[in-house]
Amino acid sequence: MGETPATRRALENPEQASENGIDPLGELRHLILAPEQEALNRLHQRVSDPEARTEDVSSVVAEAIQLRRQQGGDEALSHALAPTIETALRESVRKDPGTLADALFPVMGPAIRKSILETLRSFLDSFNEIMDQSVSWQGLKWRFEALRTGRSFTEVALLHSLVFRVEQVFLIHKKTGLPLGHGVAPSVATQDPSLVSGMLSAIQDFVRDSFHTADGQGLGRMNVGDLDVWVEQGPYAIIAAVIRGIAPRALRDSLAETLENIHRQYAPQLEGFDGNTAPFAAVDGDLARCLAFRYKEEPRRKGRGYVWAAAAIVLLVLGGWAGWRWWEYRGWSQLVETLHDQPGLVITSFGRQHGRFVIRGLRDPLAADPGQFVKSAGLSPARGEFHWGAYYALDDAIVQQRATAQLLPPSGVTFVVEDGVLRPQGSASSVWAADLVHRALLVPGIRAVNLSGLRRNEQPAFDKAKSDIQSLVVTFPIASATLSPSQLAALRTIALRLKALFDAAVALQQPAALEVIGHCDSTGAETTNLTLSQRRAERVVWQLGQLGLSGARLQAKGVAASEPVRKEDSEENRQYNRSVTFRVYSPGAN
Amino acid sequence: MLGAFAVGKTSLVRRYVESIYSDAYHTTVGVKISNKVVQVNNTEVKLVLWDVYGEDDFQRMSWKYLEGAFGYLLVADGTRPATLDKALALEQKARVEVGALPFVFVVNKCDLVNDWQFDATLEAQLAAKNWSILRSSAKTGEGVEEAFARLTEAMLR
Repeated sequence: MGETPATRRALENPEQASENGIDPLGELRHLILAPEQEALNRLHQRVSDPEARTEDVSSVVAEAIQLRRQQGGDEALSHALAPTIETALRESVRKDPGTLADALFPVMGPAIRKSILETLRSFLDSFNEIMDQSVSWQGLKWRFEALRTGRSFTEVALLHSLVFRVEQVFLIHKKTGLPLGHGVAPSVATQDPSLVSGMLSAIQDFVRDSFHTADGQGLGRMNVGDLDVWVEQGPYAIIAAVIRGIAPRALRDSLAETLENIHRQYAPQLEGFDGNTAPFAAVDGDLARCLAFRYKEEPRRKGRGYVWAAAAIVLLVLGGWAGWRWWEYRGWSQLVETLHDQPGLVITSFGRQHGRFVIRGLRDPLAADPGQFVKSAGLSPARGEFHWGAYYALDDAIVQQRATAQLLPPSGVTFVVEDGVLRPQGSASSVWAADLVHRALLVPGIRAVNLSGLRRNEQPAFDKAKSDIQSLVVTFPIASATLSPSQLAALRTIALRLKALFDAAVALQQPAALEVIGHCDSTGAETTNLTLSQRRAERVVWQLGQLGLSGARLQAKGVAASEPVRKEDSEENRQYNRSVTFRVYSPGAN
Repeated sequence: MLGAFAVGKTSLVRRYVESIYSDAYHTTVGVKISNKVVQVNNTEVKLVLWDVYGEDDFQRMSWKYLEGAFGYLLVADGTRPATLDKALALEQKARVEVGALPFVFVVNKCDLVNDWQFDATLEAQLAAKNWSILRSSAKTGEGVEEAFARLTEAMLR
């Protein structure tokens, strides 16, 4: 700001300066204030220029907000900013939800996870609770306790897992100390409510007197061990709750609310109480609602619950599987024993292969079907398989079946095999019987045939013929061995019958021979008679020979009078003794 | 139950009812509470008896215990004239504290009637009161039932 000559002049002579068209004052002002003016102009320009202002504010806006927060203007600031931020967020989401989602992702992920985790945990907790009670050692202990005490399992479990339980609630008239209502939780032993109420009131009075409390105040809580007595005071009545365990604060609010309701509903009755509790009969319902309880949550059991449950399930499954396997094996073993005892079956091996029971052995085609035994033992045929080799069993039962199948006995004949000996029983023709002896020995397992038990069909006829012939008498005249024509005719018939008899004997394989016995009456000399009887017998033998019977089978024998046919008590009977009779016998057996 | 120290209030109650509380409550809380159901005029009445600690020179009785009472038994000991005086005083005090309540005056220990000591003025004083007076003995049981029955009747009236 240098002093120019013009300025100096103007200062020396202001009028002249003015006259010269120069304003000295203005000049002076200019001289003095010019720099400030310029600064002002610059400032003005800056303030009126939005761009410049924005630039200015931007440099201090963060510090300004920080300062405001330090000054404690948080709330107002938040209020001021909230709508803008909300609008901005909304705008950002509208424009591109992805940006905000990306920004929030690290926050939202854990938040969602936490929420899910909490839900799962509470679900697992309740699951654990059920599992704990049913399968744990604790659960078993409770079950035993329930059995021992005669209480239900639920009740015992409840008792052990309760955090707290309101056992009793008393509504007590403040002035008289009489009980207006009483609520008791199930299975809680109680004393006479009037005595307890009286004593509670007395204790209230005692505390008030002893510690000079203000009017309307009283004992709020008594505590002994895990038993708490909470007392809520009202103008006319008090509520006392006997609580086992640790109850939440909210319970007191509920007690107070109940007391308020009762005061509202029964105001006149409470004020004019005369000892008659009848008007308060309905109060018990309100009190019953205060009998709250809550279960125990046992965090230390977390995790253990399912380990136990899983272990129990695994054990149960393993045990069940092993038990089933054992049971199945036992069933099949018993089946093998049964099969072993069956004729015609030989078990050579038994075992489990690829989960199936494999039984190997030999089987006679006539043996019982093993499949039947599988079914009757209640076993699944699909679980087992058989491998049989064929063989001829020598068990008597099978041999008997085999013989029956191969020899086809006629009806009326059954086979019994004992120790390899075939014994046919019943009756059959001699021809078949004779044939059987040869055929039977071809059947595997038969080493001999015993026909003693088999009757022949021909036997009765043979026996009849034999007996008939033996009853025949061929008579002779006195002292003669000559056959009369009638007796000759009779002998012809006899010859035919004898032929038939001998044939039958051959069929029956019973060799037969005929003894022709000559008789005499008792008259005459012994020697004469013996000769006569011998001649009579020989006469008949000769005659039979003439009639075609082989002499080899006929034997003549004179017995004189030693074997009389009849007793000689009449002439007719004596005639019978002058005769020949017949005896059929088995040669060799005689 | 009101009366001077050792006049036999507790004995009277014990004679009359059973309680779940021991006598120790007297010294700790100053009162013991008992129950008794009585039949009066065919009505069943449940009495809740507050047996208050006897008043003596060392301990003052809590009048609060009398609040809410429907009546009381005033007990004195016939062998100790001082307890009769005390009873009179207690009755007056009760009237002041809780108002006029039905009561029955019981002179206890009548089994020791030979030792009773009444002076003429006291007797006259009592006669003038027109009270319901009874002789009783907690020891023999004499008059006990009647005392409670009469009090119950008075309270119901």
